[in-house]
Amino acid sequence: MPMDNVEPDAHQQASPQNTPDVFRTDEGAQDGLAKCARCGATEISLNVATGNLRCGFCRFEWATENAIEAFNLNGDISGLTGILVGSGSSDIVPSTEEILTFKCSACGAEVVIDTNNSTQARCHWCRNTLSMNQQVANGAVPDMILPFRVEKSTAVEKIASFVGKRKFFAHPKFRAEFNAENVMGVYLPYMVVDINAHARLTGEGEHQTRSYTVKVGDKEQQRYDADVYNVVREFDIQVNDLTVESSSDRLDQNTSQNSNNIINTIMPFDVENSVRYDSNYLAGFTSERRDSNLDQLSPIAHTQAGDITRHRVNDSLTFYDRGVRWTAEEVDVRGQRWVSAYLPVWLYSYQQRNSSGKSFLHYVAVNARTGETMGSIPLNQSKLLLVAGAVQLVGTVIGLVLVVVGF
Amino acid sequence: MVTDFVRMAESSQIIAASSSDDGFGGFGLVFLLSGFIFYAVIYVRYRNVDKRHNHESETESAMFNMQEANDFVASKSGLTNSKIDGANNDVVRGARRKFF
Ligand SMILES: [Zn+2]
Ligand SMILES: [Zn+2]
Repeated sequence: MPMDNVEPDAHQQASPQNTPDVFRTDEGAQDGLAKCARCGATEISLNVATGNLRCGFCRFEWATENAIEAFNLNGDISGLTGILVGSGSSDIVPSTEEILTFKCSACGAEVVIDTNNSTQARCHWCRNTLSMNQQVANGAVPDMILPFRVEKSTAVEKIASFVGKRKFFAHPKFRAEFNAENVMGVYLPYMVVDINAHARLTGEGEHQTRSYTVKVGDKEQQRYDADVYNVVREFDIQVNDLTVESSSDRLDQNTSQNSNNIINTIMPFDVENSVRYDSNYLAGFTSERRDSNLDQLSPIAHTQAGDITRHRVNDSLTFYDRGVRWTAEEVDVRGQRWVSAYLPVWLYSYQQRNSSGKSFLHYVAVNARTGETMGSIPLNQSKLLLVAGAVQLVGTVIGLVLVVVGF
Repeated sequence: MVTDFVRMAESSQIIAASSSDDGFGGFGLVFLLSGFIFYAVIYVRYRNVDKRHNHESETESAMFNMQEANDFVASKSGLTNSKIDGANNDVVRGARRKFF
């Protein structure tokens, strides 16, 4: 697994004050048959249009409690100290089963739930749906879930339009096989982090005082005068809802190996609208299980918090129009709050196999909250090389003419 | 091989940018690299290998209790670069997207 080597407070992790404080997020959650309060059916799914859960039989609809309010996560970040972790974000115990068996309370049969792609399964015998809502130490049940809001039909349109603009140089096999209707709704695992930190940045900044041209030989050259300052910025910073992938596969975003950067790009999500976890939101969708713990994700989150800090402090550096060179950046994380979430993505995937037998998985992804769309389209290399060669030929001729004319 | 072109594209963009800085001096060069530039532009448009979530700017954050120090050190003149040497106030270290 790729890992960042920057760990701002590695030595702090061991100290006792930084042992995570866990708050329960599955209080009252039950496994088994989740029944409609009105008619008792277990045919429950998300109504994307309203964001509510709906009974497939009697059409009764109800809302789930907002997770941020339920877990009191909107509290002042400035008061945050130590490490606060939702129980659904706890460390994964390696021996914990990923395939879990439940007894159907309607007929007594055994029902298997593969937590790698859902936390629900249908009983083969009585057709009831069994849900798993209690957290076990395998990362399958998160603290909260953000329901799909973008309808499948909208996602299909967005994907078709994205691909439609990229048809000419697309691989012929892809063009022949592409069908936006094959898009899948997937809940992907993330960690959502609030950070309270104190930062001190020291360095040098330069402010331009004059810009002019000088003659060097027979050519004009640009020159600048500048004032140099020692710059210090010390402040408290609060980061809200920093969102990090929590699956080791998805964290690997090496663009020569995969197109996971596509899924990364469609962030951010409006995570503040997440609700308490209820497996019924998964009906009709699939999910991917979290497989990474705080130990692996903290360095990433802290490095990104450092980026956010550096970027934010630029607001106070407008005087230094020639830029600032920081020589020391101390970001002391004083408090952090972690919750795990399933976030909704419409995902079109296409496996490209080349002649050497290697394959590459291309994605076109739609953020199922904001509609933001990004994708990777397999290229017709020979066609592109041919056209690029033709462009080069014409360009060379024009370029040579320009050089001769002395442009 | 493909990634070589991306690298080339990046450098050709730099060439294009620098040529616009000093008038039409390197204008011919853009034409001389037009095939490579074309390849890279299409490659990036289809494969979007350059895209990532801009966590540094797209994440909500707020600063409080700011204490600033700005102490004049010296005046420099005749500098050839429009930016301070080693400017790093815009760097991003936590990007997951990598090219190799
Ligand atoms: Zn009902
Ligand atoms: Zn049953």
